[in-house]
Amino acid sequence: MITEEQQDQAALYALGLLNLDEATAFESELSARAELRNYVRELREAAGDLALSAPSKSPPASLKRRVMREIVVETEGSAPIFAQRPSHAWMPWAIAAILIVFCGMLALDRARLQRELADIRAADPLMQTIFFTLTPSGSAPADAKATVAWQPGRQTGVIRITNLPAPESGRDYQLWAVDAAHKDPISAGVIRVDKNGVAQIRFKPVEMAHQVKAFAISLEREGGVPKKEGPILLAGTA
Amino acid sequence: MGEETATAQQIADREMIERIGRGDQTAFGALYDRLNGPLYSLALRMLGDAADAQDALQDVFLQIWSRARTYDPEQSSVFSWTVLLTRSRVIDRLRARGRRLRVLVASSDVEEDPTEAADASTAESVADTADKNDEAARVRSILSNLPSEQREAIELAFFTHLTHHEIAARLGQPLGTVKARIRRGLLKLRERLRTRL
Repeated sequence: MITEEQQDQAALYALGLLNLDEATAFESELSARAELRNYVRELREAAGDLALSAPSKSPPASLKRRVMREIVVETEGSAPIFAQRPSHAWMPWAIAAILIVFCGMLALDRARLQRELADIRAADPLMQTIFFTLTPSGSAPADAKATVAWQPGRQTGVIRITNLPAPESGRDYQLWAVDAAHKDPISAGVIRVDKNGVAQIRFKPVEMAHQVKAFAISLEREGGVPKKEGPILLAGTA
Repeated sequence: MGEETATAQQIADREMIERIGRGDQTAFGALYDRLNGPLYSLALRMLGDAADAQDALQDVFLQIWSRARTYDPEQSSVFSWTVLLTRSRVIDRLRARGRRLRVLVASSDVEEDPTEAADASTAESVADTADKNDEAARVRSILSNLPSEQREAIELAFFTHLTHHEIAARLGQPLGTVKARIRRGLLKLRERLRTRL
């Protein structure tokens, strides 16, 4: 007989929602109760089913090549190197072979480390983030300020605005990326501040921007415009 | 679920995992082909960012490769094992993202909303084209027919990295009520989905 309390804990355990102490306590119950283990298994299967409710998408085909390359490197790195022959006459050849294999492994290891470093760089926003400070220009309040954390590799950023009052009716603030490779600023979307003049949003410019020199905020028609028309209120470089 | 009720697909998955445990790259490639779609979809729904989801999926498959020998069929099917592995890796990333975002906007007193990515992805799904996956469509249909309070509780529990205490606070319900909703919702989903993908 599984109590209701145990059933609830089992659901949380199956979803990984219990903290370490709770999970440890529950696992001690699990180890002694086959019935409870079966119940947890059922709930795990339900959790697996739940994943199917996510909108169906496919990763790029290149990801499989990346993964397969990784496992080949791992496999080759851990494979048995060499079966040594008993005859001493083969020793020089054996040493040469070991050296060749060793150099090969070093090269593979170096390539793997370079890939891992590249992955870490790609995964760690702080290692590829450029910060921009936007200060008032034109009619913006003197204490208005914005900070942009821009990740060129991912083409996304986060902007935090303070002390910028909401625009009058029929108008919106719009963020622009000033990119060296583009004649006109690239729209990064409309920004709405709250009643305290604060906004914090993620953005993504509508076009690729690999050489952003500055970000700027202008006052535009409600809903934003494809090409900057209104006055610049805040602007800044890295 | 015991051996006697395992589907042909589950048995095939189990054989693939056993071969992967012996270092069989062909089996690994086949398992990748079978599971990359649902696992990537899950990661993308939770992270809301394609590059992040791809990195997470790579981590998951490398883990499958290195941990295949530890897979225990008594605990779950291969599919559920990989789903929970994916969810766990994604939650690690969401937590790391939360920490980094707090550093990025050090002047901010506004915390990242842990459900933001999921919400963004849900919005994306509205514009998405018709689903080709019958099984996925069936799960969604069953999910949408659950009582709304159960559906809400299990979606928050599964697709975000909120703790059960945080879910209770967010829903404004006692913790016991939220636990029961999660459990009942999961069981109903399971009952109505006896056949596997």
